[in-house]
Amino acid sequence: MTLAGLTVKNIGHNWLRTVLTVLGVAIAILSFVLIRTTIDAWETAAKHGAQDRLSTINRVTFVMPLPKRYFQEFNGERGKIEGVTHATWANWFGGKHATREGEFFANFAVDTDSYFDVYQDMAVPPDQLAAWKEDRQGAIIGEALAKQFDWNVGDDVTLVGTIYPGEWKFHIRGIYVATKKSVDRAQFIFHWDYLNENLPPDRRDMIGWIASTVDSAGRAAAVSEAIDKEFDDEDVQTRTMSEQAMNKEFLGGASAILGALDIVSLIIMLIMMLVLGNTIAMGVRERTQEYGVLLALGFRPRHIAAFVVGEGVTIGLLGGGLGLLIAYPLIEQGVGRFLEENMGAWFPYFSIPPEVAAMALGFAALLAAIAAGIPAYRATKLDVIDALRRLA
Amino acid sequence: MIPLNYNLRNLYVRSTTTIATAIGIAFVVAVLAAAMMLVEGLRQTLDKSGKPDTAIIIRKGSDSEMPSSIEDATLNLVKGAPGIAKAADGQSQVMGECVVVLFYDLANGKGKSNALVRGVTADVLSFRPEVKIEQGQMAKAGSDEVIVGQKLVGRFKNMAIGDTIELRKGRLGKIVGVFSAGGSSYESEIWGDLDFVRGSFGRDGVVQSVRVKLTSPAAFDGFEAFVEQDKRLGLEAMGEIDYYRKQSEGTALFLTVLGSLIAVFCSVGAMIGASITMYGAVANRKREIGVLRALGFSKLTIMISFLFESVMLALLGGMLGVLAALALQLVEFKMMNFATFSEIVFRFQATPEILMNSVIAGGVMGVIGGFLPAVRAARTPPIEAMKG
Repeated sequence: MTLAGLTVKNIGHNWLRTVLTVLGVAIAILSFVLIRTTIDAWETAAKHGAQDRLSTINRVTFVMPLPKRYFQEFNGERGKIEGVTHATWANWFGGKHATREGEFFANFAVDTDSYFDVYQDMAVPPDQLAAWKEDRQGAIIGEALAKQFDWNVGDDVTLVGTIYPGEWKFHIRGIYVATKKSVDRAQFIFHWDYLNENLPPDRRDMIGWIASTVDSAGRAAAVSEAIDKEFDDEDVQTRTMSEQAMNKEFLGGASAILGALDIVSLIIMLIMMLVLGNTIAMGVRERTQEYGVLLALGFRPRHIAAFVVGEGVTIGLLGGGLGLLIAYPLIEQGVGRFLEENMGAWFPYFSIPPEVAAMALGFAALLAAIAAGIPAYRATKLDVIDALRRLA
Repeated sequence: MIPLNYNLRNLYVRSTTTIATAIGIAFVVAVLAAAMMLVEGLRQTLDKSGKPDTAIIIRKGSDSEMPSSIEDATLNLVKGAPGIAKAADGQSQVMGECVVVLFYDLANGKGKSNALVRGVTADVLSFRPEVKIEQGQMAKAGSDEVIVGQKLVGRFKNMAIGDTIELRKGRLGKIVGVFSAGGSSYESEIWGDLDFVRGSFGRDGVVQSVRVKLTSPAAFDGFEAFVEQDKRLGLEAMGEIDYYRKQSEGTALFLTVLGSLIAVFCSVGAMIGASITMYGAVANRKREIGVLRALGFSKLTIMISFLFESVMLALLGGMLGVLAALALQLVEFKMMNFATFSEIVFRFQATPEILMNSVIAGGVMGVIGGFLPAVRAARTPPIEAMKG
């Protein structure tokens, strides 16, 4: 019998303990993958944010609006900014579902003519787009939002305004599909004109932000600067940055949570290591006599050590593999699907990154080897006679 | 009954295994306690901002001060409501404020973050007696002076006495003081004169929220009825504590769900660890169990004995975990309050209840993890066991 064969036999020796340990490792790996995937999903929105699309907001804060005339500096009515290819504007509406007010989704009042020129990563069927443009109270919604509230094209819906008080009635005219992962698939988009004409005169003609595309991502910074310079002498100054930069800043607010999750995922690995180490140590203690026999037969202490570490790594890999086997269907089909469909605003994309899976398996093997290290070292220090004498 | 000392000694004899298992449980208990402490810290920070005898009025339908707006004329109508406390000079204690969230550079050079700027009236210090000027002086009414909460100092660049902050181009606020506010969320704010702040943003004549000191907390119902009954006003009154609770609802729920999910996952791992240890203990002491059975101890007694051992093991872990969690109280936690988009700084906050519950959760892990091994111990046939 080879050493490898002996290892396999030994793993089967106390099958209950082996099964429990493998399960323990599997669960640790499962949680590790789940947490890492969450962190990754969170950061995806930032990483994949468009670099060639700029947002121009009130310099003071995004809660405060810009005068609508600023937009005319973009589209050629009053001027043109070098490098800008398309531009549009939108207002944050802050409306809520009439009865399910706890479920957040993004809703904007937008410039009907130009919005989808700038947001080309949101695809609307041409006939629906045309129908939407015709209907002042029309709205286009994301596929995820349509599922969430079971809204279909042709439905009448009411949103309750928080920033703009009252009940606002809309007709769903279209459903857009995201063509990029980072696009929020749960937005609600309607005509800015409809909002504007229903406001008291002193609140009219204000816009939340201007979005523009630039001819090349490499010029985003230069164009942003040019835009802000344009309005520098005005009463209201602007702050322009690429979507990616803005997302990063916004996510900065949650960095403490991401940091905490990071630490927790490492703690889970430590728990796994303790469980594994404990199992191996017990196995070694029980088999002291066998090791004595092996040594008497002429095996060297390093063989014994390799034997112990090999057992640990095998259990670690078995557990890691099982964990991944559970994680994939659970996350890809279950949790991830659910989050993408129902919380698209927060997690537009929730899937296990390959490097996380690889890291999990690597950790399982590495930590198992470390956990087996102490028992293995002890085993190499065994005295043959002592070991043989010890009765199990 | 088998003496409890038997189990305790056994844990001591197998100390390496005991410690490894206990540390595993300790981690889980620490994570669980940390999550609860975080929610508690957030709640306490926001609760401190509210007082039971203070009501807040915002425009109906707005969830927070941020999107609300109330005209000064409406504010004057509110002064006629019943139940409002009077100050020494006979004035109704009613205070209109404006708030705005501004971007400022972080001191650590990692971009910008949001800070909340509040326009306050001259009587703000008597209205909020917990606010103390720690350094410098109070901003003079009607001037461009501002004071900053002590949690902002060091967090943001150029936020110390003598520095200026930009409200808008050409509108600079001079920082003349640093204030504390009893650990409440006001400590993450910048305060300036109401007319100076709202004037900088073209919001003259409008406030966003109105705070009212009531004669007693019981006067709230009458006050609320008066304010909300007049539909033309379009206002909503809330107790200040309720208001701040509502502000943190989303964030607190998020932290609770996340923390519990992680704790549940981890606890399965720790319970398996406890199971392995206890199975090992049962297997090693097979002979002893046989002897105990032969001496006449019942199956149930043996089961209880091993269960007790497992619970002791878990409680030891629970204790260690709680100690680790207590150390977390020294750590500050900064995150965005998603209701106001401004940053709020709070601490992990332990309460005796949280610590108790965490240790108990550890004990429960011991019961669950030790149950099957204890059953196996109880079912050991005495004769065979004694043969070894």
